[in-house]
Amino acid sequence: MEAAVWVIILPLLTAFFIGISKVYVKKIFVPLVISSAIIYLYLLILVINNSYPPNVYSVGAWRLIGINLMVDPFSGLFLLIIALLFLPVIIFSVKYIKSYKHEYFIFTYIMTAGIAGMVLTADLFNLYVFLEVSSLSSCALVALKKTNKGLEGAYKYLVMSTLGSFFILLATILTYYLTGTLNIAEISLEFNEIPFKIKSALMAFFVFGYVLKIGLIPLHFWLPDTYEDSPIPYNVLSSGLVMKSAVYALIKVLYIIFGIDFLDKSGLLQIGVFWGVITFIVAHLLAFQQSNLSRLLAYSSIAQIAYIMIGLFVGTEGGLIGGNFHILNHAIMKGTLFLVTAIFYYSLSAVNIEDIKGLAYKFPILSFTFVVASLAIVGLPPFNGFISKWLIVEAALESGFVYAAFFILVGTFLSLTYYLKVIITLYTKNDKEIVVEEPGLSLSLPTIFLGSLCIVFGVVPSLPLRLINKIPTFLLDNGEYIRVLLGG
Amino acid sequence: MQISYIAVIILFCLGIYTIISNKNIIKMVMGFTILESSLILLLILISYTPGGTAPILDRQYEIVVDPIPQALALTTIVIGGSVTAVMLAVTIKLYKRYRTLNVDKLRKLRG
Repeated sequence: MEAAVWVIILPLLTAFFIGISKVYVKKIFVPLVISSAIIYLYLLILVINNSYPPNVYSVGAWRLIGINLMVDPFSGLFLLIIALLFLPVIIFSVKYIKSYKHEYFIFTYIMTAGIAGMVLTADLFNLYVFLEVSSLSSCALVALKKTNKGLEGAYKYLVMSTLGSFFILLATILTYYLTGTLNIAEISLEFNEIPFKIKSALMAFFVFGYVLKIGLIPLHFWLPDTYEDSPIPYNVLSSGLVMKSAVYALIKVLYIIFGIDFLDKSGLLQIGVFWGVITFIVAHLLAFQQSNLSRLLAYSSIAQIAYIMIGLFVGTEGGLIGGNFHILNHAIMKGTLFLVTAIFYYSLSAVNIEDIKGLAYKFPILSFTFVVASLAIVGLPPFNGFISKWLIVEAALESGFVYAAFFILVGTFLSLTYYLKVIITLYTKNDKEIVVEEPGLSLSLPTIFLGSLCIVFGVVPSLPLRLINKIPTFLLDNGEYIRVLLGG
Repeated sequence: MQISYIAVIILFCLGIYTIISNKNIIKMVMGFTILESSLILLLILISYTPGGTAPILDRQYEIVVDPIPQALALTTIVIGGSVTAVMLAVTIKLYKRYRTLNVDKLRKLRG
């Protein structure tokens, strides 16, 4: 299982060597970046294959006193998302990013290392450290273009995410004070004896901290600003991985440390579902008013995260499967949409919706990919978004959240309106002569690859569901996690 | 002992108040530093045992200070330092663009 630790080390090493190549050998830059991404893909596949049954890797063989990495189906899902997104984004960025090239790749690799660390670690303080690694490098990426909007977005992002992480740190310290350990399994065992009220207060700190990072309404206002003027390939990773990694950490803390029984008793599940419903309704309404394409997609991201939260907070097996499947699907669909937007920006610096008028006749295949991905994100069959949304609605109905199921259908219509607005503009004939720069294969191939995954996962959902089906039993019963981490 | 914990609470609330109420970017960064130092103080406080020593130097020890929170405190200081550095870097860039440190004057984006 040494591959697990290399999943964290390799991006850090690559970031270091990119820095060296900037100073000394400029020629090896592109081969270095691409080959490292390919080796990383191989390592990820190796680790994902070993994710069930879950196993533990202790760094330095210190066992329980040392740092433990744990590969389980839930983290396997996130490693799968990294595997699907990372190589296409890197190939795309090599041509797309023109200014501050080295800095962009250094920060992207460090961010990926942070996310991989968050996903793999079995230690509460390490979770905080890796969270901070990923969000700080993410802030730097937002400010990368050094435009006014980018800097403002980065400042807002820094303030909100740092505030969130201090609350998480406070909760972590208090947890250590109460239990005397940082190992997640040991904390989970110790937590059985802690009074209900103290646990509730701790949970409030954790939830507030992570929700600030996820960006649910009304703590969302910084999020669209970070998307507006940042490098667009970074937005793919941001909506697909950075936001999701906070969801991962929240779910892991809630389900493994606190346990499903406590969540049910404290009423957080009901609050979570209600919060999700409010969030996606407001986010859909706000998205409808946007004229900037990136901002529209950002608001749509908030809404999709809300669907995921509903699925995960319903607290049944079906809900967890649907929510986790939607995490994967949203990463792919939003990745496709952002990459097509990036190509439009690259070819004729289009940022607003009216700028892309009539582009469908210039880029027929790319526009078709955009249509596929946006219909998938709305939730029409036969695309992947339909299946995961269907699973979430079904789970909500089964466990009695009828209003959530109803509003998900309403939300589908709301999202259809604004995505149709974009698609209609895309296919309206434009009388003006448009001069475009050809994107070339290295930009369009990653986009079409992600777009085709939307159809593949929609037609054959059993491919990812083989991995996802193992998650619910694992999360709903934290005994298995404790047994593997303490015993193995 | 109890009074020190009250100091932590006061510092924490003071930090949050500074961040929320101030319009000046530099003062907001200061608020984050106050917030961070309150958490470091909390880490040191929970590990403190009266009369305890470090288990490395003294062979005949009886009461030991818990070393883990002190290691965590070091990590927290490092993270806090890097957060402050990034924030100040962004602040410098913002000041060069807008020639002001007032948050309300930064009005390109409206949330």
